[in-house]
Amino acid sequence: MGKLTIGCFSSLVGSVSLDFGVKLAEAAVKKGHEVDFWVSSNATMLSKKGQKAFKDYSHLAKTLTELFATGKFKAVVCEACAEARGYHKDDTMEGWGRRSMDWYLASTFSADRVLLIGGD
Amino acid sequence: MATKKLAFIIRSLPYKTEASRLALTHAIASQTVEIYLEEGDNIEPVVCFIGDGVLNCLKSQQAMKHYGITSLEQHMKNSLLLDLKVMICKEDVDRFGLKEDHLIMDAEDVGGETKAQLVPYSEIQKVMEEVDHLQFF
Amino acid sequence: MKLGVFMSDFRGGSDVLNRLSAEKLGIILVGNGIYHATTKENGKSSPLLDKSANFYVLSEDLESRGFSSADVDSRVKPVTYSDVVDLIFNDYEKIIWI
Repeated sequence: MGKLTIGCFSSLVGSVSLDFGVKLAEAAVKKGHEVDFWVSSNATMLSKKGQKAFKDYSHLAKTLTELFATGKFKAVVCEACAEARGYHKDDTMEGWGRRSMDWYLASTFSADRVLLIGGD
Repeated sequence: MATKKLAFIIRSLPYKTEASRLALTHAIASQTVEIYLEEGDNIEPVVCFIGDGVLNCLKSQQAMKHYGITSLEQHMKNSLLLDLKVMICKEDVDRFGLKEDHLIMDAEDVGGETKAQLVPYSEIQKVMEEVDHLQFF
Repeated sequence: MKLGVFMSDFRGGSDVLNRLSAEKLGIILVGNGIYHATTKENGKSSPLLDKSANFYVLSEDLESRGFSSADVDSRVKPVTYSDVVDLIFNDYEKIIWI
């Protein structure tokens, strides 16, 4: 089994690229791989707690909760990107870490594969 | 003890999206990555500008004046100041009718010694082959 | 190198892709990239498919956009997320997103 590091910058709402990243993580974990998931830029909103499910918007919170429960999925949000968007540590969904960009680079060090999903 | 090489290939124009800025800020973050790694392990970033991405390298950007944010020029200079390897695709520079004089090739004004390299695309292709992981921005 | 490229766009990115060379190249069409596999313009298939590569298309993104496997160019193989994971770990050493 391997380790996949996924970095994503795309918006939670308005782009389905972030959905792709989460679904890929889910598929990799199901196959027994380990996944590190890094979000920065507009993707930080994925880690905000209290997201409501509406049928017009992507809703990935439930999948993330299930992924965290597997113990094979780690997710970290770029702290500066989150703060710049006005949401703070207390607003972060359970399971997420908040770090600076060097965490992502460190994750790539031990990764077998790295996929960086760029912005919108 | 090991060093992993990471390529940051920038193909996006500046400012409309955060892509090129994030490439540079993530590459610069390699300076503090050691706190998460075993002693002797490290990450070595290489930053390459290709396609429209070479337009990030133009001099005299005044983003601070007009948008109130750090310019890509400043981030490029910070990268050079920290001795990151920065390569700019010559064919794309030529395609836009630009000369080396138009580009940020050094960070001498902030005390940097490392220079950016204007190279043929084939050199950037070689980097892509050599690195451990590739990322396109 | 063995390079896997996620192509997520229909109109952009081909310039970058055309310059990439790899000993083994896989192009996985995802998001709006799936139109390369399904759509002809003025009767012609996407020029992207003329590139020497192994082509895949994500079935879920096909269906989301109103297509099925039957609509896919014969050069392109429909795959699931599970298949994509196997491609990433077994077939390609480096992977990028365009």
